[in-house]
Amino acid sequence: MANQSGHIYGLTILSPILESNRLDICHATELRWYLASLPRNHTSPFAQVSSTHFARLVVMDDVVFVGAPAREEHLKSRYLVFETNFDGDLNRYLTRMAVEIPELVNSVWKHCVGYPGLADPNAFIAYMKKCQIETTFFFADVNDKTVQQNLKALQVQSALSRFVERNQGKPASEVQKSFGVLLKRLAEAPDPLPGGIDSEKTAAEDRPYDR
Amino acid sequence: MTNINGKAYAMNAITPMKSWKTPVLRGFFFILGAFPFLQASLKNLSFIHFARWVIIRHDQFPHLSARQPLEDLHYDYLIFLSNFNGTWNQYIDAFSAVLSSGLNAIWRWSEKFPGSVPVTPFKSYIAQVQFETDYYYNAYPRAATNDVKAALRLQSALNNFAKTSQTLSPAEFETAYLEFIAQVQADLGSTGMAPVGT
Repeated sequence: MANQSGHIYGLTILSPILESNRLDICHATELRWYLASLPRNHTSPFAQVSSTHFARLVVMDDVVFVGAPAREEHLKSRYLVFETNFDGDLNRYLTRMAVEIPELVNSVWKHCVGYPGLADPNAFIAYMKKCQIETTFFFADVNDKTVQQNLKALQVQSALSRFVERNQGKPASEVQKSFGVLLKRLAEAPDPLPGGIDSEKTAAEDRPYDR
Repeated sequence: MTNINGKAYAMNAITPMKSWKTPVLRGFFFILGAFPFLQASLKNLSFIHFARWVIIRHDQFPHLSARQPLEDLHYDYLIFLSNFNGTWNQYIDAFSAVLSSGLNAIWRWSEKFPGSVPVTPFKSYIAQVQFETDYYYNAYPRAATNDVKAALRLQSALNNFAKTSQTLSPAEFETAYLEFIAQVQADLGSTGMAPVGT
């Protein structure tokens, strides 16, 4: 299926955005204001749905006119484009969105036509599938590792690099002992946070193997 | 800019295609998917985490309520969504230089596509059909896809070395450790924020 590459699923959703007859209400603008206020680091709602590698939300105002002799045409609705790349199964992912980040889902999709709310997660899943457009071709550079596996590998890479740097020229017995400590600390370190960290203080706190 | 989160750039582009041309493009993508070796150039560029091409027929835009006006479109549309590392200019330049025949095979079916070489009209076309991202999330913003692949290789090598490292004598450990470091040295390093670019 073109929506999948390895165990990564590429979901593409186009949800029509509500248009109001009232001049003082523009759902697309309200949606943009809300999206602009969302955190994009480890406090992002998508960090909570921890199987998300990358996700984007885009208000598509119209199609593009590329110039004559092409025909000029316009959409009658604006559409919210939701693109996400995640580990595993579509139903499970949408259920996690409904259960784990209901505030984001409600705040975003309440601006969209036909959104059923989250009282019944199955209704939400059915709604999202109605809005789904089959991906024609999906490319994933690393398609056999989960978000957590990638983050853990990056943590290990950082730890080992610092270890090598700090232990240059030391006696072998000392390096061997320190290496054992490093392996133990890495094994016991909590999972790295998805979504990244902003401050140096938090970055240091995210290196428990390094204390 | 919301198109950027850490080392990744979110590109969105939409181009119109005459309806009779879309089956041809679907056929091309089918072949590309069926024979992974045809993706080697894309893979070897190694600066795209994830990318997708989505063909939407003119009558396929979701219609969810009688109150929502029906779209009346002449063209089918090709949407391209990419998560890549580096700046916009680097991305388009690399695409044009390395993948020009592949890009032409994909976008030649779109109206007024100028070809991917020379790069100046190609960039103008991409700028024309691109639309901006309103929210962008990246689970590992400090890492490019090359960083992720290097980290995975290094972790695998470390796991192998760790199995024996603590049972060796100090002298044996010294030899084995140096061999291990020599083996993984190209994958060592730590990630961080990218230089600011657009």
